[in-house]
Amino acid sequence: MNRASTLRKIGAFFWRDLAIARGYRGALVLETLEALFGVATYYYLSRFVQTPELSRELPAGSNYFAFALVGFAFFDYLSVSIGAFDASLEEAHRNRTLEALLVTQTPLPVILAGSALYPFAALALRTCVYLGWGALLFGFAPQSANWPAAIAILLASILAFAGLGILSAGYQILFKRGNPAKWIVLGVSALVGGMMYPITVLPRPLQLLARMIPVTYSLEGMRAALLSGSGWATIWPSIAALLIFAAVLLPLSFALFGWALRRTKITGTLTHV
Amino acid sequence: MSERSISVENLEKYFPPALAGWRALLQPLARPTECALAGVSFTVSAGEAVALVGPNGAGKSTLLRILATLIIPTRGRATLGAANVEYDPALARRQFGYHTGGDEGFYGRLSGRENLAFFAAMNNITGNDARVRIDRVAGWMGIAEDLHRQVRTYSTGMTHRLGLARALLHGPGILLLDEPTRSLDPLAAADFRRLLKEELVRRHGTTLLFASHTLNEVEEIADRVVLLDGGKLLADDSPRGLRASTGAASLEGAIVRLARHPLHEETLQ
Repeated sequence: MNRASTLRKIGAFFWRDLAIARGYRGALVLETLEALFGVATYYYLSRFVQTPELSRELPAGSNYFAFALVGFAFFDYLSVSIGAFDASLEEAHRNRTLEALLVTQTPLPVILAGSALYPFAALALRTCVYLGWGALLFGFAPQSANWPAAIAILLASILAFAGLGILSAGYQILFKRGNPAKWIVLGVSALVGGMMYPITVLPRPLQLLARMIPVTYSLEGMRAALLSGSGWATIWPSIAALLIFAAVLLPLSFALFGWALRRTKITGTLTHV
Repeated sequence: MSERSISVENLEKYFPPALAGWRALLQPLARPTECALAGVSFTVSAGEAVALVGPNGAGKSTLLRILATLIIPTRGRATLGAANVEYDPALARRQFGYHTGGDEGFYGRLSGRENLAFFAAMNNITGNDARVRIDRVAGWMGIAEDLHRQVRTYSTGMTHRLGLARALLHGPGILLLDEPTRSLDPLAAADFRRLLKEELVRRHGTTLLFASHTLNEVEEIADRVVLLDGGKLLADDSPRGLRASTGAASLEGAIVRLARHPLHEETLQ
């Protein structure tokens, strides 16, 4: 299968999901409002907790509202990356399209990648909505942001997180439901990854744990790029760490996913719900 | 008719026993001990229509799913044209269309046309070629007027016809059908049988392997009948040959005598 054909197929998945989403326009309006409530909550929380001591722990030039907003908005990339691949399998199980897809001339990795494209595009839009509400109503001001570096951090994060997502899809295809590893990764990442507070406030062992998960580097790099407007020299270590995670996790996840797929074809449970 | 289109050689399939509770976690690693196919061999020539018949649990669906690359056999070999379904599934998938009678796998909020266009794209068919093929197969299935409607508004029979249209969309040389007329009303089923036999098999030379419990359908469509029971091949002959060899007046009688299924013997007594 050539690259053009693969891209056409991935595009077909995107248009499929867009066409389905057209039927839920009301949900888009409600999600935009929900984002407003979320951003407002962080704003008032930040007014309550902002102190000079706290400010010293935050990246230069930022305040707690901006810190929490970026953490909240970009932590979603981890959630969606881990969930998008197995959610696409679960959805195909639920509407019974998996078998029909598997007998087409499209390999399962392309089916997974295609199905994950729309959730990522929707997430990018949601991130813009979050940051937009913050800028419009609550004084979030990323004027000095290093946008190219922020985009580089985002892409490296997606690559690193996708490995976890494909591992999760491998679990889903083998065991069909429940995925304790997914919730452990999300829970640990939320606790020690620096979503709501800098990791410097954590005890030493948890700080060490934080250094072993990709979301820490993702949030650090994103805050440095968006809030402090840091240059490439400051941001590069975060990008390098994320690329190392991707270099390890992606081949490992593809190998394990391939093994899981073969096992389910042997046990005859590939299309079982 | 001499070229082999489907070849099944000593095909065996064992499944692991179904495990419940915490043991279900071990299911992917469990030893396959339940026999579904026990050394089945037969061939189907290009342009031939062959029916798989046998009682529930005979191994018909398992055999079709192996050929459709959805299951890997335990032992033996199955090929579609030149493609070994285990080792070259991508090549195999270019050659067959697969449909099961219970197939309702569509996106309910998309129209019939949008669904078919999506699955056409998955088979590398896009643009005007896709539009032409969708109109053709929808016409065959009698759903051309309904393609603009969302699939969630379709009746079971219409969804089934849409599934058959999907299987035919890429013009496969081999059709693998599992109880293809299960959800169709009698008129639609008769139309579909005519389409299979006259249009696809006779006119286009499509190779057809289908599983069915409807014996008048088997007699109408099949050049040959492969009878399975308990994963074993009991007979492989034309409907007439089966009647002659068993001395039965009907295909049903022939199959009952060959299968010697306890339930059937009680029925005979």
